[in-house]
Amino acid sequence: MEFLTYLYLFYTFVAFYFLFIYILVYFQNRKQIYEVVKPNKIYSLSIVVPCYNEAGTIGKNIEAILASNYGGLKKLIVVDDCSTDNSFEIIKGYAKKDKRVMAVQTPKNTGRAAGAKNFGAKFVKTELIGFSDADSYPEKDAISKMIGFFNDKKMGAVTSRVLVSNKKNKLAKIQAIEYKIIAFTRKLLGFLESIYVTNGPLSIYRKSAFDDVGGFDINNLTEDIEITWHFVSKGWKVEMAIPSVAFTNVPTNIKSWFKQRVRWNIGGLQTISKYKSKFFQCGMLGLFIMPFFIMSWFLGITGLFFLVYRLGRYLIGKILVAKYSVASQVALVRYEDLSLNPSILFFFGLVLFALGFTYTIIAMAYSRENNFKHRVHDIFIYSIFYLLAYPPLLIISFYKFMKGENKW
Amino acid sequence: MLKSRKHVFWEAMVMTIAIFLVGLFLGMMIEQSNSNKISSFLIESEISLADGNAFSEIIKNQNFSCDIIKNMNIEFADKVYEEAKLLEQFDGSEKLTDNLKSLHKKYDLLRTLLWTSNQESLERCKNYNLIIYLYEYETEELDKKAQQNVWSKIISDLHNNEESVLLIPIAADSELSSLNLLLSEYDIKSYPVVIINNKNVLYEIESEESLKKYLD
Repeated sequence: MEFLTYLYLFYTFVAFYFLFIYILVYFQNRKQIYEVVKPNKIYSLSIVVPCYNEAGTIGKNIEAILASNYGGLKKLIVVDDCSTDNSFEIIKGYAKKDKRVMAVQTPKNTGRAAGAKNFGAKFVKTELIGFSDADSYPEKDAISKMIGFFNDKKMGAVTSRVLVSNKKNKLAKIQAIEYKIIAFTRKLLGFLESIYVTNGPLSIYRKSAFDDVGGFDINNLTEDIEITWHFVSKGWKVEMAIPSVAFTNVPTNIKSWFKQRVRWNIGGLQTISKYKSKFFQCGMLGLFIMPFFIMSWFLGITGLFFLVYRLGRYLIGKILVAKYSVASQVALVRYEDLSLNPSILFFFGLVLFALGFTYTIIAMAYSRENNFKHRVHDIFIYSIFYLLAYPPLLIISFYKFMKGENKW
Repeated sequence: MLKSRKHVFWEAMVMTIAIFLVGLFLGMMIEQSNSNKISSFLIESEISLADGNAFSEIIKNQNFSCDIIKNMNIEFADKVYEEAKLLEQFDGSEKLTDNLKSLHKKYDLLRTLLWTSNQESLERCKNYNLIIYLYEYETEELDKKAQQNVWSKIISDLHNNEESVLLIPIAADSELSSLNLLLSEYDIKSYPVVIINNKNVLYEIESEESLKKYLD
């Protein structure tokens, strides 16, 4: 067998393995996916919202949180990170209208959401501390559907399901599909105690757990991933409440999408680097989350080289054939060229794609939105083309990470 | 809630290994079936070749019509050529086993024998054209692969358009001592190469038309 065949079989094996993990977890726990735990008591809660130049969205965010039906919400601390627009004026306006809203400002711009979040956390005196991004809008019952998980005293963090608010163009609509798949997958990972991120749009932490890990790492570009790994490494449990929904705005142009994804990837690498000593140790963090992350990186990057190599050779071969064919006045394509004799590798690929696509459909079915339906061709674009953008992003991010570029 | 946590990794591993083994088994079965198909063709062709050789021996000193000899040789060569095309198709889909490689070599040997058996008939009858197309089977060079692809098409077109052409494509890198001995007579420098009627050795082919001028 050729080396490339071994490589392809290895990829197929790993892909089947992870897919089967998800499928098994789904079938074994599908009745609990929408589980909402009733709280034993009213836990006092403060929400911290970091804000930097978010004049266009901060008002809607504050209103969404204040509209929550959770009775234990004591404070909404909105931290202005020295915005250059009129964000702080808007925040102060809300603070005047509702005594639960506290408008605070960092002494100087921290440059990162983590800095503003940590600053806001200093004002929290409640049992639970929540965080929400200034461009996100939790649903009315989002918080109340998360709180019950804190009945478990080892529960350190509970995260919500993020859906896309601004489905204005194709890119945003495809991200909307992606966010649904991510949310469903994260919930399944929750059954394996392997949730690797508590998202920015809405996550709630036990304050003692938050203090235990020392808050957010301000040097990390994805502080929400880092703090989650920190919780897990310290033995705190992390859960996800899929019925709890927070809407968020996603990038609507390639440039900002690219920038955001590179930042996420660099943050992921920073986190892997920080917790490398936990590899194959420390429960599910070292035994599954880290190997899962590292494997994703490894497969993504090597897979791209593999793909480029194969595709490159194929295209060069076709160009050369075309060149010689034209020179010799021979037909470029003939029936014999089209006759297919697919190998077993092709069938493996086909089964994998079919299983992956079925998984996507199931995940979508669990994240239906009122008044919005995804188009089938968007799902195909996501499944075939959008996912292909991941490996190049990984390589660019890896390059930037190695160069030490870690700007927000 | 976490009841599945402990076992799911092993269960998934067992499922993956199971589907993988089933897939590999099926793959090997398909490849074996392709190989068996080619093998049965090969046996038939070997019988036909032996039959043809016996026929040649019988007619050697008798005045049999050259047309009969020509038709028999071309018919047999065409049959082998079609089988070789099928072999090429299966070749591309063979990933798990090496069964077809050895069959490929056997076919090359068969075609070498066909070439040698035609030397005398061609010399005697001169009523058909013998085209030997020698190429590299194992090459990884894209340029060479592309060149061989186009040459195959040109020669195939010529074979289809001309009535009296006996075409024998042979992989020159088959490591067959008989073939190597035969090739040493021509002092061939590089592949692909076309030998027409055992006398014209062509390293360049411009088009089908350019080949026709070498035909008798």
